[in-house]
Amino acid sequence: MASASAARAVTIWREQYTELMRAAFLVDLQYRASIAIWLLWGITEPVISLGIWWSIAAGGAVDGYTQGAFARYFFGVALVNQATLSWDAWNIDRWIREGEMNYRLTRPIAPIHEAIADNIAYKAPTTTIILVVWIAAAAFWPAVRVPFEPERWMLAVVAIVLAAAIRFLNGYATGLLAFWTTRATALVELQFGLSLFLSGRIAPLSLLPPGVVSVAQYFWFPYVLSFPVEVLTGSVMSTAQYARGFAAQIVWLAIWMALYLLVWKRGRRRYGAVGG
Amino acid sequence: MPNAIVAAGLSKTYDVKVRDPGIGGALAALVRPHYRQVRAVRDVSFSIERGDAVAFLGPNGAGKTTTLKMLTGLLFPSSGGAEVAGCDPWTGGNAFRQRIAFVLGNKQQLLWDLPPEETFRLNRAIYGVSASDFASRRAELVDLLLLGDLIDKPTRQLSLGERMKCELAAALLHQPEVLFLDEPTLGLDLEAQQTIRDFLGTYRERHGATILLTSHYMADVTALASRVLIINRGLLLYDGELAALVARIAPIKRIELVLSESVSRARLAEYGTVAHYAPPSATLEVPRENATAASARLLAELAVADLSIQDPPIEEVIRIAFGEGENG
Repeated sequence: MASASAARAVTIWREQYTELMRAAFLVDLQYRASIAIWLLWGITEPVISLGIWWSIAAGGAVDGYTQGAFARYFFGVALVNQATLSWDAWNIDRWIREGEMNYRLTRPIAPIHEAIADNIAYKAPTTTIILVVWIAAAAFWPAVRVPFEPERWMLAVVAIVLAAAIRFLNGYATGLLAFWTTRATALVELQFGLSLFLSGRIAPLSLLPPGVVSVAQYFWFPYVLSFPVEVLTGSVMSTAQYARGFAAQIVWLAIWMALYLLVWKRGRRRYGAVGG
Repeated sequence: MPNAIVAAGLSKTYDVKVRDPGIGGALAALVRPHYRQVRAVRDVSFSIERGDAVAFLGPNGAGKTTTLKMLTGLLFPSSGGAEVAGCDPWTGGNAFRQRIAFVLGNKQQLLWDLPPEETFRLNRAIYGVSASDFASRRAELVDLLLLGDLIDKPTRQLSLGERMKCELAAALLHQPEVLFLDEPTLGLDLEAQQTIRDFLGTYRERHGATILLTSHYMADVTALASRVLIINRGLLLYDGELAALVARIAPIKRIELVLSESVSRARLAEYGTVAHYAPPSATLEVPRENATAASARLLAELAVADLSIQDPPIEEVIRIAFGEGENG
């Protein structure tokens, strides 16, 4: 009896996700031109960073980073960033301010599931495109090849999924602050600015001043970009480095999950009658 | 009959930030914000039996939508409680949400870029409706709402009335026990309004659904609900039959006349109050109990081409009822 109802719950859950992802994917298809532009915009930053570091490294390796190592790093940044982006704060802000949260709150599914399905539907195809471009580039350009170590790739996938979950919950929980303030998205933009340095987006963390690196350690930023990229490109070598990185990811995931639950619960009580 | 909706002393008070106009006021509000308490809903109690249709009336900002949002679990009340479809709206969780639908005339749940059929599919999965139930309910809704091929066109290409019909279908696929409708006919043309009224009446009869609706269109109210709740400034002023309200508020009848010969205003005034005089037509107001006798006299004593006895327009009755709240 219990197993039958559990099986039914799993079936409903699977159907809900399938249909939410299908709808999100069909909507994305309507906006394919915009998505192509966002994708290009997303890779512009790592391409520019690579261009700068490429010319700096022309005179010789920078702190162990050769031109090839920079190329691998920024291909990794483009891929991981695409897989872990979070735009959810803007959506939630709109849902709350414009009253689109109302019908979502009367459905028998928490709105976060729609956001998760939306993320999967968008990121699966776009990240695949970047991966295909990388594989094609690697065919002609040996420098951007990552070590052929399938176990490492598996670990990189785990690190990327954890990173995506942390960034998602971070963006979603911050977006929920729209229950209290109309400027929740400004907080997200502030975090985005900080992550430029602290997550390794413009340079590998080891090249930044020691002060910056030591500050970064106290945030989740290095574990949502730098760590998965370095697992993928082969910079993370020792068991201790793996253990430290994954442990930090799990701790930050737990922290943001707890913050999400707290803000959600409090925000639901706080929710005012916006939108009629 | 068990109750589908019970509201017990529901109240909602908001803190609203007050600030003086201008830059000075904005800066002062930053440093020391002042809040004013707005009592949007005050101690509202009523109950609605399963299968009934009740209209919730009141001017803008009276507290109708706030009450609906509390009953659907969207807003937490400041005090008081409620039971809807046998559940507590705030702790009933998904079991509660399965039993209700909330349609907001000014907000839509249909996926804007995709045909309504896609929203139907999505709602089928979200509410866990079986494939066979989905097929039969969808067919019924398409038939009753005359949706035809609308459901295959992108929502953004549909007219407002077409969208509202699809919106109702999407909200009813899980066959909710209690249906909350906030201005379902807002901004629609007369034909679309009529289709929606007919549909809601038929749907309620067939499925025994309970309906609580707000509307500014009296035609919605008279067509769908025999009972009305009147709320103003957060206070429930009247709960009862629409006909009884009309009798109490406006104890008069209107006699509309078309005269075949010219009759002076003064002569007409002998029969009742002349509310309107534009020969050959005129309108007299007489006490309810005298309406029949006055009509008989008119027909006997004057050259009357046409005569009809009517209740005063419902809009006027409601306006007077709102006014009672203002004074009281």
